[in-house]
Amino acid sequence: MSAGSTAVYSLLFICLCCVLAPRALAQYDVEPENPVWLRALLDLRVVRGGAAPSWTDSGPGKTRFGGRNTDAGFERVTRFALGQLAIEMGAALPWGLRAQVQFNIQPDIADDYDPWVVEALVRKEWGNPSDGWGVQTGLMTLPFSLEHTGPAWTPEYSISASALNSWLWEEVSLTGLEGEWWHQGESGPRIGIVVGAGYGADQMGRLIASRGWALGDGVSGVNADLPLPNGTRMDIFNEKDHRPAVYTWLTLGDEARAALKLGYLDNLGDQGYDGVWHTRVATVGATLHPLTRTDFVVQYLRGKALVWQPTNDSSLRGFYALVSHHYRGHRVTVRYDDFRVHDLDGGNPTAESGDAVTLAYLYEWGLRHRVGAEYIWLHSNRPASAFPEPGQDGWQLSYRFRY
Amino acid sequence: MDFHRSLIIVLALAVLPLSAALAAGVSGRVVGADGKGIADAVVFVDAAPESAAARSPATATMDQINKTFVPHVLPVVVGTEVRFPNRDQISHHVYSFSRTKNFELPLYKGENAPPVLFDKPGVVKIGCNIHDWMSAVILVVPTPHFAVTDAEGHFKLAGLPPGNYRLLAWHEQSREKTADTAQRVQVAGSDLELTFQLSLSDDRSRPAMRGSRWDQ
Repeated sequence: MSAGSTAVYSLLFICLCCVLAPRALAQYDVEPENPVWLRALLDLRVVRGGAAPSWTDSGPGKTRFGGRNTDAGFERVTRFALGQLAIEMGAALPWGLRAQVQFNIQPDIADDYDPWVVEALVRKEWGNPSDGWGVQTGLMTLPFSLEHTGPAWTPEYSISASALNSWLWEEVSLTGLEGEWWHQGESGPRIGIVVGAGYGADQMGRLIASRGWALGDGVSGVNADLPLPNGTRMDIFNEKDHRPAVYTWLTLGDEARAALKLGYLDNLGDQGYDGVWHTRVATVGATLHPLTRTDFVVQYLRGKALVWQPTNDSSLRGFYALVSHHYRGHRVTVRYDDFRVHDLDGGNPTAESGDAVTLAYLYEWGLRHRVGAEYIWLHSNRPASAFPEPGQDGWQLSYRFRY
Repeated sequence: MDFHRSLIIVLALAVLPLSAALAAGVSGRVVGADGKGIADAVVFVDAAPESAAARSPATATMDQINKTFVPHVLPVVVGTEVRFPNRDQISHHVYSFSRTKNFELPLYKGENAPPVLFDKPGVVKIGCNIHDWMSAVILVVPTPHFAVTDAEGHFKLAGLPPGNYRLLAWHEQSREKTADTAQRVQVAGSDLELTFQLSLSDDRSRPAMRGSRWDQ
């Protein structure tokens, strides 16, 4: 390296140090707020699912990680997996606007390491915590889940979400506009009303009809495509009829003790367009906190997914109830799932009935670390399935690092 | 006699630059350049006579209500133990990486988090690791004599023993260095009125996410 190059690199290094070095603060100076922030979540797993290959490998397995297909038939396998790498970026913009975007890398679902854009929105709020309203626009998910309340929209009570919330987070990604109003009186309940409309849900329902219900923690994005049992993949964002899905989400109650949540979505799909589904779902849920360290969550969802061609009209129903106890960094959760699909038109068989029990233990320590273990036992009768055994079970261990 | 009178006058003149007045308490306002009062500013005694600096162990509380730290600004005297009860049903993860005090209270609900001792004067920025817009400031001051301004910018420091004091005004968004706001007073018998002038920068805090999506 020449003396001139050395001098240039030295100068660049000094400049870099000057840029990166924190400003010297006097004793009573407040550290400046960084208007741009970055967060990340890395989830590494050791998994041993059921013998059937997972639906993420176009197999009949109902959990996110399954077995493999050999000459002797299906076989259980234990393996390491990248559960999730989520990158969240945010910025405080002028006029009190907040922008945030989230990318997720989930190679087992995406079949590659391409990041899926889960969220990209701009939000503005007026008012205060007890009385105000907000508007956001951009790419967003549905607000219906009572479980996806952890960092980077991960399930809070377990590693895998219930069947109904797994589906909502797998198959719905909307681009549109959402408004919200909330109010809390001095002693009355808190009321929150969300109303939104968004494009991209023209094939909502196809995954349930083709694959049935499943339990997992995958999160789709606007550029996501999911595997189907026939070996093809379906795009999550699909807009053909140019009619936005509309939805509303009502929250009523005192978060400290109990809250009732009601949601309704109609994708207003025009079946006159080839491949467009008309799907409507209604959901009701409740969170109860009778004891400081115990959470009860129940949620019920019912809906219809109709499509002109191929004949896959289905009605769907999902329910779960969970109890979760936490103490310091420890959390233990037991959840029961019940799920059904009824074939409405006698065409391609879509019927399914099943239930599942999930046991999860999570331990969080420090700002950044969490380990977890989860066991799922699942029973599904689905005549269209390539797997004759209705019972499946599997476990997974997770280490999560959050930056 | 003339000598003594001259001596008294000289001594009085010598003291005048240090003391604006003689008072039992100090009250006044913190205002902006436009003369309007500034709320949530802290006026505190930075240096006090030994007798006025004595203090017993103190406790204070910073609540978390509706994903908001309450109060947003909490002045405490050095040696105070601050509790951070979580009144929300959701978990919070309170922390600070400030050089004045570095601590964390991992995910918790309720009122059982252990108190945190603030043993060094300075500014401690408080945050929640789950809800990144939640922020607050604990101002740790060296003496027990401090006051927070009301909505009109008024403050009152009562019960100051006689003596010489240096008073400072602080605000989270103040452009002035706190040391540059210093005013010296001598407290003796009557009330003293003081005015501090600050200019505030724009609020740079992260916009909140209070919608039901963030009931977590």
